[in-house]
Amino acid sequence: MVLILALPPAALNGQQAQPASSRYQAPVISDTGDLKGPRQPIFFRHDIHAGQDQIPCMYCHYSASISSEPGIPSLQTCMGCHQLVGGSTPSHQAEIKKVRDAWRERKPPEWVRIHALPGFVRFPHMRHIKALGTQSCATCHGQVERMAQVNEISTLRMGWCVRCHMKNNVTRDCTVCHY
Amino acid sequence: MTDSIDRRRFLKVLGVTGAGAAAVSSCGIGPEPTERLIPYLIQPEDQIPGTATYYATTCRECAAGCGVRVRVREGRAVKLEGNPDSPINRGRLCARGQAALQGLYNPDRIAHPMVRNASGTFEDIDWDGALQRLAAKVSESRGKGVVFLTGAEQSSFGDLVDEWMKQVGGRRMSYEPFAFEAVRAGNRMAFGTATLPSYDFANAKYLLSFGADFLDTWLSPVEFQNGFSRAHAFDAGRPASMAKFVYVGPRLSLTGMNADEWIAARPGTEGMLALAMAQVIMSQHLARLPADASRLVGLLSSYSPRAIAQLIGIDQETIVRLAREFARSGGGLAVAGGMAMQYPNGAGIVAAVNILNYVVGAVGTLVKFGADLAIGATNTFAELATLTSDMAAGRVALLFVHGTNPAHSLPGAFQQALGKVAYKVSFSSYLDETAAACDLILPDHHPLEQWGDSRPRAGVTALQQPVVQPVFDTRPTGDLILKLAGKSGTFQDYLQSKWRTRHSAGFDQYWMDSLAKGGIYADAPTRAVRLADPSKIGFAAPAAPATPAAFANQAQQVVVFPHPALHDGRGANKPWLQELPDPVSKIAWHSWVEVHPDTAAKWGLATGDFLLLKSAFGATKFPAWITRSVRPDVLAVPTGQGHTAYGRYAKDRSANPFELLGAQANEYGGRTFLVQASATKTGEHRKIVTTEGSPRERGRGTVEVLGLARAKSLHPGDAPFHHEETPEYAGDAVAWWAERQHEKAEIGNYKGEQPRWGLAIDLSKCTGCAACVTACYAENNIATVGEELMQRGREMS
Repeated sequence: MVLILALPPAALNGQQAQPASSRYQAPVISDTGDLKGPRQPIFFRHDIHAGQDQIPCMYCHYSASISSEPGIPSLQTCMGCHQLVGGSTPSHQAEIKKVRDAWRERKPPEWVRIHALPGFVRFPHMRHIKALGTQSCATCHGQVERMAQVNEISTLRMGWCVRCHMKNNVTRDCTVCHY
Repeated sequence: MTDSIDRRRFLKVLGVTGAGAAAVSSCGIGPEPTERLIPYLIQPEDQIPGTATYYATTCRECAAGCGVRVRVREGRAVKLEGNPDSPINRGRLCARGQAALQGLYNPDRIAHPMVRNASGTFEDIDWDGALQRLAAKVSESRGKGVVFLTGAEQSSFGDLVDEWMKQVGGRRMSYEPFAFEAVRAGNRMAFGTATLPSYDFANAKYLLSFGADFLDTWLSPVEFQNGFSRAHAFDAGRPASMAKFVYVGPRLSLTGMNADEWIAARPGTEGMLALAMAQVIMSQHLARLPADASRLVGLLSSYSPRAIAQLIGIDQETIVRLAREFARSGGGLAVAGGMAMQYPNGAGIVAAVNILNYVVGAVGTLVKFGADLAIGATNTFAELATLTSDMAAGRVALLFVHGTNPAHSLPGAFQQALGKVAYKVSFSSYLDETAAACDLILPDHHPLEQWGDSRPRAGVTALQQPVVQPVFDTRPTGDLILKLAGKSGTFQDYLQSKWRTRHSAGFDQYWMDSLAKGGIYADAPTRAVRLADPSKIGFAAPAAPATPAAFANQAQQVVVFPHPALHDGRGANKPWLQELPDPVSKIAWHSWVEVHPDTAAKWGLATGDFLLLKSAFGATKFPAWITRSVRPDVLAVPTGQGHTAYGRYAKDRSANPFELLGAQANEYGGRTFLVQASATKTGEHRKIVTTEGSPRERGRGTVEVLGLARAKSLHPGDAPFHHEETPEYAGDAVAWWAERQHEKAEIGNYKGEQPRWGLAIDLSKCTGCAACVTACYAENNIATVGEELMQRGREMS
């Protein structure tokens, strides 16, 4: 079996696409204790991947536009780049080594879940992306591309859902989400 | 790098939806528990998280061979639906099929191979060790009697077992507790062919069932439900709708409850009724008779209604009326089976009903020989009795048991004979009574986890594919046999090679098409049959109920009938089926004995009082359920319960009625399910677990009836029943609610209206099979509550 290694377009030619000066530079973080949100088994930095390298959200969370579940990218997706990309600083290299070790040991990391809805609520990602577009993730998840460690910015409570539905003048039928 | 990676073993279940913890956390009570999201190592190409995939495969819960489509999400089978492509079930599925999932995920499945150790208990063994042991036993037992016992298995797996048994000098036998020896013997008597025909219920204009419970357990219930609904329901646009259905039998089953008329003939006299009807039809020229029907005159002359009405227990006018209705409908179909074929004279009854079909011309049009239903190819009970005596005499050194549990359905004889077999190997997925008595258990994959096929009838080969990864450390029995036989490849290769012989050119495309459709489906050509020599039709009239001196004065005829959901007991380890109330008695989780109110009054018996039934073969006790759906001189007991093993849901529930039955085959090689037994009150009492508050309407007018003439004159939009949509006092409230609810709704077409959703069930089509109840449990993940809570009326359905 041959693994197809594919690099996201932005990771390869992001530099050509925009002048370096206007490009977002993710900060160097020496103390992770101050970061919001739960600590993850691997210090995966959305601010580097989605912010600095401008990889589109849907590159990894590809099923968000076609399924109710956004999907957590498989380790294979990580290795698509990190087979080659080893990290520029010792701390980055240490984290990438965790990914490579996990791949070698066939033991995917157990991410700590941040956004969770109760079992009696259905949230179809694909319908919301269809209505709001592929750039709309931030509406609920916030500026993830500026977060070194992801934290929840919305309550995900019903009042919060309904407020947006009222603002956009869309259905508030109970059975749309509770069925 | 990836060469060494077993891709299948790689799959890790994506834990996004799995945690029940989410439901708790959202209530705002206490801190939220930490949930983990575990990604795939490698994303399977054909799977999208959160989106279901459907696989076509074949249901193996009974021998009917219905096609199913299994909904799989994130690698887990979550729901079975009927496969609309299958000509057998046409997209429908019964409760037992729905509950196949609970066999797959059963907590009492045998998770790895086990061997009996010196102290007599089971201990774990690894697969290599188990196979070595088995290979040694096979070569050691060669020539000393090797038998492989399967269930109804007309399939490539069955072929493989046959080949292997030939190789090692053994023989294969197949066993079904409720087999069809009587139908085969009766067909041979009447038409000289011992095969099972297919029955076209859908195009019948008048249906007559002599004990055949074709809606619950007989042959192919889902197919027959479908056909029956078409024939029996009201359909203004279809000329053949609203066929009358008459049921003949000592007790009302689900099938009987659907009948328009019930003839409670004395057990064993069903055949006489059929012959008397045939006699009336012939003597009064009610139908265009086949040319050779005149040969029947001699036989039928002794069955005039006048001569035998008394014996049957009905008046002769009824017989004449039934004969007229049946013949003049121009499409009468009579079927015999179920209880009627489990009497000592069952074969004669079937032959008699064949004659009735023959004189009205139903044979060849509604009864089509040529289908050769596979369930008719099992070994007869007589052959099994021979095996039992061989085993008891020590002539079997090595016994394999796969897909059947004879120690439960033959509790005395077979269980004792098992002890005389030197080495017994079970391939069961569950520790049932037979497996518990074996020396080595090599658990097979569940049918939803493995390759296979099944030939339920001529022309139809249903394909079975794995829809999920194996849940436990089990192995397909086919793989083991190939290994033991010294052949290379897996059972999947064997299956494909078998299929390749059928269609070698462009095989890959053919295989993929068959997989997508769930099999290959063709119509079997109808084979013409001719009437055999009528003088050979032996028809023993049942003797008047004998009362041996040994029995108390309460000697009764006891009918043992298959439970619609638990069947011969194989469904008893699935809580969905245990909690599903029996469609007739509405009793769940335990067994019962049906007693007519007159008999109960005579004995001073109340519902729930235990009756001890004692036959010449054994004694068991059951709580009484008093009902008018059984004849006063008959008691009826369902099978299914009374397991001494078979997991937590089945074990130690009620008693096993098979203990009442003899282990000797009757004259046509079948088993007799009607026994003489004494019935005595034990003084014990229990509360019956039933979901039925009352069998009567009690003047509430819950059932509205529409005359046929009025129904035929209806137009779409007519409201035949007088009732108010909304009571006046509630009108304003409903209007306000609907307005608030939908004032700005944009989706759907309910703008400006006041939609009110409803679910309508066409009760003229509904047979009451209760498959919808189990389907609801499956679809909505509803919990079962168990016997005690159900007794308190807290069931979830």
